[in-house]
Amino acid sequence: MKMSPASYLPLILGVIVLGIPACSKKAVRSGGDTQALQGEMAKGGTAKEGTGSSFPDTSFSGRDDSNSLRGLDRNPSEERLSGNGSGAGNQGGTGHSNAVIAKADSGAAARQLAEIRAEQVASVSAGLRDVFFTYDSFSITDEGRHALSGDAEWARSNPYAQLKIEGHCDERGTSAYNLVLGEKRAKAVRNYLVELGVTPTHLSVVSYGKERPFCTEHTESCYSQNRRGHLVVKTGK
Amino acid sequence: MTFRAVVFVGLCVSIGIAWIIESGAADVFLEATRPDFQKIPLGIAGIENMGGSESPEGRVKLGTRIEDVLKADVRRSLVFALVDLPSFGIKVSHLGAEPDASFKQAAENGVSVIVWGKAGIKSGSKDTDLSMDGYVYDTGSNEVVGGKRYVGSTSVARLMAHRFADELVFRYTGEPGIARTKIAYVSELGTARELFVMDYDGYEPRQLTADGFLNLMPRWSPDRRFLVFTTYRNRNTQDIDMIELATGKRWTLVAQGGLNITPALSPDGKALAYSSSHEGNAELYRLDTHTKAVQRLTTNAAGDLSPSWSPSGRELAFTSDRNGGPQIFLMSADGSNVRRLTFDGDYNAAPAWSPRGNWIAYVCRTPKKEYKLCVVTPDGQKHLQLTTGLGVDDSPSWSPDGRHLVFSSTVDGKSQIYMINADGKDLERITFSGTHNSAPSWSPAS
Repeated sequence: MKMSPASYLPLILGVIVLGIPACSKKAVRSGGDTQALQGEMAKGGTAKEGTGSSFPDTSFSGRDDSNSLRGLDRNPSEERLSGNGSGAGNQGGTGHSNAVIAKADSGAAARQLAEIRAEQVASVSAGLRDVFFTYDSFSITDEGRHALSGDAEWARSNPYAQLKIEGHCDERGTSAYNLVLGEKRAKAVRNYLVELGVTPTHLSVVSYGKERPFCTEHTESCYSQNRRGHLVVKTGK
Repeated sequence: MTFRAVVFVGLCVSIGIAWIIESGAADVFLEATRPDFQKIPLGIAGIENMGGSESPEGRVKLGTRIEDVLKADVRRSLVFALVDLPSFGIKVSHLGAEPDASFKQAAENGVSVIVWGKAGIKSGSKDTDLSMDGYVYDTGSNEVVGGKRYVGSTSVARLMAHRFADELVFRYTGEPGIARTKIAYVSELGTARELFVMDYDGYEPRQLTADGFLNLMPRWSPDRRFLVFTTYRNRNTQDIDMIELATGKRWTLVAQGGLNITPALSPDGKALAYSSSHEGNAELYRLDTHTKAVQRLTTNAAGDLSPSWSPSGRELAFTSDRNGGPQIFLMSADGSNVRRLTFDGDYNAAPAWSPRGNWIAYVCRTPKKEYKLCVVTPDGQKHLQLTTGLGVDDSPSWSPDGRHLVFSSTVDGKSQIYMINADGKDLERITFSGTHNSAPSWSPAS
C-alpha cells in the first residue's frame, strides 16, 4: 500500500464508530451554521471588504536556486539531502523543506460532526422534505413543488427559524461545474420558497456540488438521491 | 488560417524561444522538443548494495530500492528509453567507479547511456546515514561523463533516486525533470475532505489541513511555497484560502459570500483568478496579490468558472455555460476578446492549459455520457480524446514538462488519482488507499 494510512487511521476509525452515513442516513452529511457568528467576528472586516488584505505577495521572479540541480560532475562532491518534504524548496540545502503535517485534529472533526448532528435532529423534527432534480437540471419538478409547499408552511409558522438550503449533485460531471450546478439548485429552491411567502432573510444557500454525496454507489438510484436540494434548520446561535 | 490563429502561432513561437533562452542548454533542449525526437536509449546496470544497505523495513535493500525508483523515474521522463542491458548483449561483470569492460559494446548495440551506482550506510558515520554514488557513462564519448554523491538519512532514499533522475534529464535536455515534483490533492477522511501533498509518483503523502469539513481544488503558487484552495468556513460559506506548505500557516484571500471557487495563480504569481457568485451568479474575477485590488472579468447571467492561465499569463481558458451546457472559452487576462473554444458535445469543462502552451486539457462528455479527458489546441483546430471506458474522469492537471497529465477517475470504483502521457499512453494509477482521492494539482518544477 503506497499511502501509509497510519497517521489518519485513528480518525477514520473514529468516524466509522460515530457512524458513516449509509445512503439512507442522509442527515449525517448535512451541514450546519453554529459557528457562523464566531466566524464573522474572527474574519473581522475582511468579509465585507471582499478579500483578505494581509496575505503574502505571491509574485515570483525566477526559480529558487536552493533546490536546483547542480549538474553531473566527474569528481562529485558530497550533496546532502534532507527531509523529503512538501516541495516548498526555498528553505536552503538541496533537499525539500519539511511540510507541516496537520495533526489529526479529532477536535475539529468531532465538533463538526456534533454540529451537523444537532442540525439533523432539528431538521427531522421539523419534518422538512427535500427536493430532487433530474440529470443536468436545476428545474423544480411537480413533486419538488409539492414538497416545498409543506416546507414553506413550516417556515411561515416558525418565523424565527433560519433555513439553509444545500445544493447537491451526483458524481457525474466535474467537481467545479457541479459546485455551480449545486448553487443553481439551491437558489431555485430558495426562490420557490420566497414565491410561497417565506421571508428571504430567513433563507440561506450553500452548494456542496458532488463533495458530500448522500450515497456513493455508481447507480442511477444513488445518483437520483444525490441530485438534491436539502433543507436544514440552522441550530447555531 | 485566420488572423487569430496567426497571432497565436506567433505567440507560441515566442514562448518557445523565451523558454529556450531560459534553459541552460539550448542546443539539446531543441532536440528534446522536436516532434520527431527519439528517446535516448539508457540502461541501468544496477545500484549495488553496499554495507549495511538493509532498509529499515528489512525486505528490500536500499540500493535495490533506489534502483527501482530510478528506473521508474527514467521511464516516466519520456526523454529516455529504458533498455534491458542483458537483452542488448551487455553482461555487466563488475560495478565500480570505473566503467565495466562490457560498456564498450554498448554503442554498437544501440545504447547511448549507461547508469550505475552503489548505495549503503556510510562507514564511520551515524548508522542511519545513507550514501549513494551514481555514475553516467556516455557511449558516444566512451567515457564517464560525470556522477553524483548523495548523503542523507535512509528516509531520503527515494529522493536520492528522484534527484539523480532529474540530473540525467537535465544533462541530456536542459530541462529540470519532473521526478522531484509534487502533487497536491484532496483526500477523504471520514466525512471530511482535506488537503494532502505527495511525491509525483504517489509516495510520501502528507496531510496539510485538518478542518474536519471540506477543502477543495488546491492549486500551486509558481514558487511552490503555497497552495490556494476553496475552504468551507463554518460549513456555510466558501472562501478562498492560501496555505504555506513549510509552516501550515493560512490566510484568507477571498471571503465575499456566495460561491468562491477554482482559484488559480498566474504564472508570475502576481494575480489570482477565481470564480465568485457574490454579485449574483458565478463570475470570474482577478485579484492583484500585491495591491489586493479586485477586477471583474466576466459579466453575464451564466456561470463562469475554472480559470486556467496560459503559460505567458496573457490569456485565460475557462468554463462557461452561457450557451446552455458548460463549454470551454478563452479570453485575454483582462476579460476582453472572449471566444468559445469547444463545440463538440454538450458538456466540456475543467480546462487546464499546458505549460508548453500547445494543448488545453479538459473533461469532455462523450455521446455515451461518459466523462473523459480530451485535449484541444488553443486555436481549436485539433482535438483528441485521451481516455476511454467507464468511470468519471475529472480535474486534469499538467506536469511542468507538459508530457503528462494527472487526473482523478472513478474507473476502479472509488475516486483515485491517475497519470497519463499527453498522447494518451501509459495510464498509471498512483493512489491506492483511502475512500476518495481527487482534485490533483501538479507542482511546478524546481
